[in-house]
Amino acid sequence: MLKIIFTAVLLCSSTATIAASGIVGVDEAAPIDAELGLRLPDGFKATVFADQIGRVRHIVAADNGWLYGALMRPQKGMGAVALRDADGDGVAEENIFFAKGLKGTGIGIYDGYLYYGTDVSILRWKLPENGEPQGTPELIAYGFAEKRQHAAKSFTFDGKGGLYVNVGAPSNACMEKMRTKGSPGMDPCPILEEFGGIWKFDASKQNQQQSKEGVRYATGIRNAVALDWNMRADSLYVVPHGRDQLGEFFPEYFTPEESAEMPSEEFHRVAEGADMGWPYSYYDHRKGERLVMPEYGGDGKTVSDRGQKPLMGFPGHWAPNDLLFLKSDAMPEGYRMGAFIGFHGSWNRAPFPQAGYRIAYVPMDAAGNVTDDWITFADGFAGVEKVMSPRDAKHRPMGLTEDANGALYVSSLMSGGRIWKITYEGK
Amino acid sequence: MKASKIVFAALALWGTGAVAQETDAKGEGLYKEHCASCHQYDGGGVPMLQPELIGKPRANGKPGGVIDMILFGSDAMRENEGDYGNEMPAFSHLTDLEIAQIATYVRTHFENRGGPVTSDDVKPRRAR
Repeated sequence: MLKIIFTAVLLCSSTATIAASGIVGVDEAAPIDAELGLRLPDGFKATVFADQIGRVRHIVAADNGWLYGALMRPQKGMGAVALRDADGDGVAEENIFFAKGLKGTGIGIYDGYLYYGTDVSILRWKLPENGEPQGTPELIAYGFAEKRQHAAKSFTFDGKGGLYVNVGAPSNACMEKMRTKGSPGMDPCPILEEFGGIWKFDASKQNQQQSKEGVRYATGIRNAVALDWNMRADSLYVVPHGRDQLGEFFPEYFTPEESAEMPSEEFHRVAEGADMGWPYSYYDHRKGERLVMPEYGGDGKTVSDRGQKPLMGFPGHWAPNDLLFLKSDAMPEGYRMGAFIGFHGSWNRAPFPQAGYRIAYVPMDAAGNVTDDWITFADGFAGVEKVMSPRDAKHRPMGLTEDANGALYVSSLMSGGRIWKITYEGK
Repeated sequence: MKASKIVFAALALWGTGAVAQETDAKGEGLYKEHCASCHQYDGGGVPMLQPELIGKPRANGKPGGVIDMILFGSDAMRENEGDYGNEMPAFSHLTDLEIAQIATYVRTHFENRGGPVTSDDVKPRRAR
């Protein structure tokens, strides 16, 4: 019975709410176009911009009309793809693979250059007028230790010469023994010296080493693949991945249901020097509190004073993979100033259905404050009603970008790789 | 005499079946406790993050293949064996019997036909 009630609560919490700002999320009664593979609120239209382009992660649209995508695994030996829709029908008819021998997640444009993040470096090419960049890329930042877990170097720019790089912690909760039941958390966590934060670099200076020229801008971040600079509010925002396996390691404190729902995925505004609390604490959006991580003596109830509270908490394990603040005013009012967050979807909710697999939208004002509850902007990516095992999901939203005309793009690295173009067509 | 032999044989068979069932139930329980959160209840894994266990060469070959993965985690992986973002911890703190039961479960489920293993298969591999 309790389980039924809990499931009902879960369902309610994931139902899109009508925000006071007047925007409405997807209509959960509306059908999902299986061929298109996503569902949007009324008035929005999507096309499959590109298909079968490989394991595409973050994407960026250039003013030259081309869209560039970083590939997590090389396609035809190349680590990036350039795409263009010259005739404007919403489908790219040109694709060029480039970045030989590379693979990565981060991609972005600043000051006439195309930047690219491998797991161990940030590179850049001069942005071409047309097509793919030429020549050998310049090395901007390096010296990131080569790790397997949480190695993706996503990044963003502040528009004033600063480059902000996510350096994920190669760890779940800084346990002495990696992901081993009963192993305590290390305090202080030595991982935080080199990982688990955002490092700032000069966007235009070559050969900066993380440990020398790199500045630790913020800490206590397990892995923020999703980060963006909000130009309106002139501030960094991140949505880190919360830790896994609470119930598996601490069944005395967390039921399987709680372990599926906890910890929250946290949406933070990040000032210089901020601490998001990992690994010492986590956020519980149901209680509105930061709690002590069980590896550090927590019991699922004890409040922690380590780490700042997030602006908002989402259900656990949804896996935020990109964050985007729009720059244009092409989208209807209410959608212009807030945060689009792509959740690629969970794996750590079994035996309950996996969740996430959507783009959420958080209404905000020009000063960067959250003004209302989040809504679901796009879903249906998984292609199945219930994802019992992550491999059953057909697509998972991975990267977000906006083009010069204000159209929104979403990437997925599943099923051969796909990018959608989303525009507002009005009612 | 003949009849009692048949009865004995039947009892022996029944006994074997019961032991197999018990091993299977224990293996399943241990799999759910220690393995399923990453490799999933259906053995399907997580694309690019944690390997699926369905129809895997390691679970259809020599007894050591799965045992070594449990004992040593990702350190037991051969170079280029897999392309996964996560690391697997060692589960060497489990007993030989528990490891044998998990390995047996994996080798006899998820479309694997590797067959059961025993504690005696586990013990000598700890020192490797």
